[in-house]
Amino acid sequence: MRVLRLAPLLLALALAGCATGEFSMRTLPPDTPAADNAAAVKQALAQRQALTQAHGAPATLPPDVGPPLTAAEVPSLATYDPWERVNRFTYRFNARFDQWVFLPVADTYRRLPAPVRGGVHNFFGNLSEVVSTLNYGAQLRLGPGGRSLGRFVINSTLGIGGLFDVATLWHIPAAPTGFGQTLARWGVHPGPYFVMPLLGPSSARDGFGWVTDFGTNYAINILNLYRGTAGWALTPLNAVDIRSNTSFRYYSTGSPFEYDTVRFLLVRKTLIQDDALRLWQRRGDPPGGAPAGE
Amino acid sequence: MHAPEQVTDACRASPSGCRRARALAVFGGTALLLALAHAAAAADPDPPTGLADPAALRATVYGTPPQDIAPLPQTVPLQEIDIRLPWARPLPKVLWFDARLRCWFSAQDKPAPLAIVIAGTGSDGNTAKLALLRAVLYADGYHVLTMPSPTFPGFIAAASSTGVAGDLVQDSQDLYHAAAAIIAHLPKRVRITDVDILGYSLGGAHAAVVKALDAKEGTLRIRRAVMINPPVSLFDSMRRLDRLFTRSIGDGAQGLDALYRRVYVRLANYFRAADQVRIEDANLMAAAGAVLRTDQDFQAAVALTFRIALVNVFYAGDLYAGTGVVTDPAHPPQPGDSTDAVVQKLFGMTFDDYFERVFLPYYLAHKGGATRESLLAESRLQVIGDTLRASPDYYVLTNSDDLILDPQELQWLRTTFVGRIKVYDHGGHLGNLGERDQMEDLRRMLAGQWAGDAP
Repeated sequence: MRVLRLAPLLLALALAGCATGEFSMRTLPPDTPAADNAAAVKQALAQRQALTQAHGAPATLPPDVGPPLTAAEVPSLATYDPWERVNRFTYRFNARFDQWVFLPVADTYRRLPAPVRGGVHNFFGNLSEVVSTLNYGAQLRLGPGGRSLGRFVINSTLGIGGLFDVATLWHIPAAPTGFGQTLARWGVHPGPYFVMPLLGPSSARDGFGWVTDFGTNYAINILNLYRGTAGWALTPLNAVDIRSNTSFRYYSTGSPFEYDTVRFLLVRKTLIQDDALRLWQRRGDPPGGAPAGE
Repeated sequence: MHAPEQVTDACRASPSGCRRARALAVFGGTALLLALAHAAAAADPDPPTGLADPAALRATVYGTPPQDIAPLPQTVPLQEIDIRLPWARPLPKVLWFDARLRCWFSAQDKPAPLAIVIAGTGSDGNTAKLALLRAVLYADGYHVLTMPSPTFPGFIAAASSTGVAGDLVQDSQDLYHAAAAIIAHLPKRVRITDVDILGYSLGGAHAAVVKALDAKEGTLRIRRAVMINPPVSLFDSMRRLDRLFTRSIGDGAQGLDALYRRVYVRLANYFRAADQVRIEDANLMAAAGAVLRTDQDFQAAVALTFRIALVNVFYAGDLYAGTGVVTDPAHPPQPGDSTDAVVQKLFGMTFDDYFERVFLPYYLAHKGGATRESLLAESRLQVIGDTLRASPDYYVLTNSDDLILDPQELQWLRTTFVGRIKVYDHGGHLGNLGERDQMEDLRRMLAGQWAGDAP
């Protein structure tokens, strides 16, 4: 068992060796230009309408959400980052871990047939519905909570233990949530910028939320998947599944100011999302619409 | 720019959630930066300080409408190449991640010509515009190698022999040698019959100079070069952009702060007012539409995009040249240091500042016989004007409303590339890249079958 556990690491190191020489080639998933452009054409149609509206009547707020945001309420251009030195260190650590371990393993994983990887992806997605359901409950948002629960039931049964995402085919798309959003729902500010080890840029609140969700899974321990041998095998597989489906590359900007750029974007995104979420919640989740914010 | 964990949360659930999360992540708090992403892909647009054409400005920022794009193949294989180049200067600690040059390669499985494609100002070797050209060229039977601009920080650190970007000939030389090194390392199964080179925006100018250098050195025996929306005078274009920044954003920190607040307010209210709670790519574009309204907004997006590219070039140049404008040569910056102060300083720096305080001191000291005038002259396409005029193998695709050309410059292109230039009526700067007609003209030019501009 111990050897098995080490196998991915050894494989990663062996593969990483290839990347230290003066020349290396790494196969990426192929581009799919025709499909991408077809999707863009579809969006352009929707966009044309939306753009007309946006230009015609900018920011007319429904009466129940209060006055619009004013320039005075905009958070400062400088970002609150009291843990900057540690954060920068973690960012660099993550970049190196990504380069030496995560990416080589994810590259190897992508050689598996697509249906297998799809099954793995759906399986973990299905498990995450448990935490989503609980958190929607804690957010007192019963509609989306019911959808998450419904998805879990449908996919666990008809989807054969979650390997197939039947619910999405039935137009019940996933809308995961977590404890970070639950905290946001009850007015907790994101707090300082926080770069999580291995997981990447976040905020103190959302980082704490992630840990709580992980702990919740561990406590519930559904089908005994989160503890013991199964836990040792599944957690890395989950991580590899996530990594191989994420296109983010550390330092793809090549810029010495990448840390600043990511921090700027992420913090503003979180604040604007929180702001919109707060108002949407005051108005309630729309019937049949996907829950807000995800 | 995506934050990985935001994306991954939703990726766990479904591909559509994944897309949405990515959209949100890209969204990143300001649609200004979304618009900037578009403009960044547009590279170095350069509206004159006069009245810029509103349609050209919008085309420049939004790019080619997807329904007008040439037919594209279903899949294009892709490999990432990392190469360490021996002539690179010692790597500063703060650029530790830029040790190797990164390019992208798509191989045919049969003998085929190779197309080398160069990105525009400040861009890496895998922009959306490069991907578009890659798809078209790959479908047309080329191996395709896409390379970053010599003004991309990753190139400056890993492939520049000076570390001080902006010299058209020197940068092209480094680019040429890097391309040759990559081709020499390609596996044997990749069989190359001919080499062609093209580039968009500043990359177009680089492509032409690389071919001109190759005509002397003969390593690659480059057959043809096509320049898409190239500048004619690099430095003049950049100076105009500085004036555009002052006009549309204002000077230094105050102007930037005001722009930031304006954009943030529009964006936050857009999302407060949105009926649909689901944020998808289409809404994202609409959000960008809510943020960019007036000509001044579009000009600001273009000017700021350029300033962001300059920030990187300036910082790296100052570091390598040891000119001490924003970095202290006696105490080189460390990777853990906060960069807030230096970023703020850099956003207030113009291209003239870069030229006078970093570029000029470095090149006067390191290039034998160089003068201010000679360096300025070498930043113009005229430096290879005789070759461009005489050789039948250089082509130009541009637009009559391209923001980076003034009328004299466009006229110079017309008279230099007689019978080898196509000027479209509309598109601004790169706002028609990938259009059916343009890609058909590109194909014919690369194949040496272009019959000339229809009257």
